[in-house]
Amino acid sequence: MTRLVLVRREQVLKGGQPLAFLIGLVFAMLIGVVLLLISGHDPLAIYGRMVEASLGSPRAWSITLNRAVPLGLAGLAVAVAGSMGLWNIGAEGQILAGAMMAAWVARLGEGWASPLLITAMLVAAVVGGALLASGPAVARAQIGVNEIITTLMLNEVALRLLQWLIHGSWKDPESRGFPLAPMLPDEARLPGLFERAHWGAVIALGVIALFGLVASRTAWGYELRVAGSSGATARYAGISLKRKITTVLILSGGIAGLAGGIELSGNADRITEGISAGYGFAGIIVAALALLRPSGVAAVALLFGAVQVGGLSIQTMGVSSSVSTILQAFILFGAIGAGVFSRYAVRRVNNDKTSSES
Amino acid sequence: MIGLLSATVSFGALLYLAALGELITEKSGILNLGVEGMMAIGAVTGFMVALETNNPWIAFLAAIVATAVFALLHGLFTVVLGAEQVVSGLSLTILGVGLAAFLGKGAVGRPPGAVLAPVDWGPLSDIPWVGTIFFSQSPVVYFAVLAGIAVSLLLTHTSVGLALRGAGESASTVDAAGYSVTAIRLAAVAFGGAMAGASGAYLTLSLTPQWAEGLTAGRGWIAVALVIFGAWRPGRAAVGAILFGGLLALKTRLQTFGVDLSPILLSMLPYLLTIAVLIVISIRARNRPSAAPAALGQAYRREER
Repeated sequence: MTRLVLVRREQVLKGGQPLAFLIGLVFAMLIGVVLLLISGHDPLAIYGRMVEASLGSPRAWSITLNRAVPLGLAGLAVAVAGSMGLWNIGAEGQILAGAMMAAWVARLGEGWASPLLITAMLVAAVVGGALLASGPAVARAQIGVNEIITTLMLNEVALRLLQWLIHGSWKDPESRGFPLAPMLPDEARLPGLFERAHWGAVIALGVIALFGLVASRTAWGYELRVAGSSGATARYAGISLKRKITTVLILSGGIAGLAGGIELSGNADRITEGISAGYGFAGIIVAALALLRPSGVAAVALLFGAVQVGGLSIQTMGVSSSVSTILQAFILFGAIGAGVFSRYAVRRVNNDKTSSES
Repeated sequence: MIGLLSATVSFGALLYLAALGELITEKSGILNLGVEGMMAIGAVTGFMVALETNNPWIAFLAAIVATAVFALLHGLFTVVLGAEQVVSGLSLTILGVGLAAFLGKGAVGRPPGAVLAPVDWGPLSDIPWVGTIFFSQSPVVYFAVLAGIAVSLLLTHTSVGLALRGAGESASTVDAAGYSVTAIRLAAVAFGGAMAGASGAYLTLSLTPQWAEGLTAGRGWIAVALVIFGAWRPGRAAVGAILFGGLLALKTRLQTFGVDLSPILLSMLPYLLTIAVLIVISIRARNRPSAAPAALGQAYRREER
């Protein structure tokens, strides 16, 4: 009897990941066609509208770019933790924490000059995300508490904290009883770049490039990679694992928090419980598709931004915007499937009697 | 008060069903963070099939089968292809919630095609308090109780249970003993999906009973938390289910009791309690074997043994 097994390749296929990503994209779009046909829509018209709305004009590009900012930062946050073999599943909550801190500073800083207020908001956002991540960071480093679960649980805690604020002490007296926070002052708005795009894109790209450089060019980045690949080697080399784990998780939380601050200051009128449209979770997919590499994170975030903007645009055609969610998930599944074959080869194995009965 | 206790049992069963499935999945060594998405698939399938057939039992079964198949997507990627379990599971949640919203778009706001009527236990149901709390529940609640006992017995008293636990503790040992780790883990993932599907269908066929986007509202995450809160034991998870179910039931009733505590803050408790329990488990694990399955989250490749 013969069977098929996966055998690890001596060398990973070069250019495998971009190719896997492309295969994932095509795979997802094919599934999308099937779903759209079943539900009685014209796939070509819908895909056409999605591309037009996300990439068809400078204005479309600017909206896509804005959407890519939180995706890219959340993706980077996950990638930073991932560089040490840690999972930060809490980017969603850290984004909310960052937005909450930024909104709080905007309340305190009424009447401040715009550059001062915006800077203070973004710094506060970083602190907010870092604070939420600090618990899981210390627990993981000192006691070995699984950071996947703690960061995941804190997502829900942060969401409820935000709901509590909006329903309670932050409720706008002029909102006629609706649970709405007051509008942000104009001084709190990030200045624009072109069309709808704001400076968040520059900040995000700067942060991603900075981490890319630090990770690849500095001793700290080198230690990070050593600690990530082998804890034992790191201990022999005198690298403090506990300190590394703590720093990396807190840094990861801070980056996600920054995404929340930028989202509030750049895109939102006021803080709402929907301030993060699932960016934290999408960020995990972004990081996974980018194989945790900063440059890849930026590229994947841009594409996911386009898919999400496209998804929102087809609601007017009577199609659920969840099409874009479905596409994103299938891009990942398709790419994982394809990616396996850049690392493994399929071999036919003969299960003859000698191996099965000896 | 009776309403609160009765709702505690209902919500407890809802959480317990999904948690039992996740418990079995994790015992086999596979972490599936797709519970929230699987519940959504179960909920929408149950509701839609009930609309078509007007038969709640066919709808309930359909939800179980469809969600088990849906969960096998996670199985394919993590068990067969060895992909990162965290990434695949979260994608399953994102996909499930998205697919449910897409498929259920036409069902939003429609009255249910059929509901699972409460079981009439005759004189038992007429007992004051006890009758209302325990003997006027949806059949799904009794199904959850039976499933809890069955899972508990399976894990501790059968060779299948031993092999299942082995797959999550030391996969190569189980492999050497002649079991297929792949088959065990795939079955465990499918079981996890089936139970999450049952839980989701309980929402749309009995508890709510309506379909709306985002209906599961984070209850899948509570189910994941419950597995840890219960230290991977069906019995302790049942205690946790009653506790967390009580918190869910209390949330909507706080005002009626005149308690001046925000229900929103109260709803943080399951997550904070779970973190606290996980910390205790981790501190204890320094001196003795951890409660968590040792191989949880690790792919198993026979060729690299």
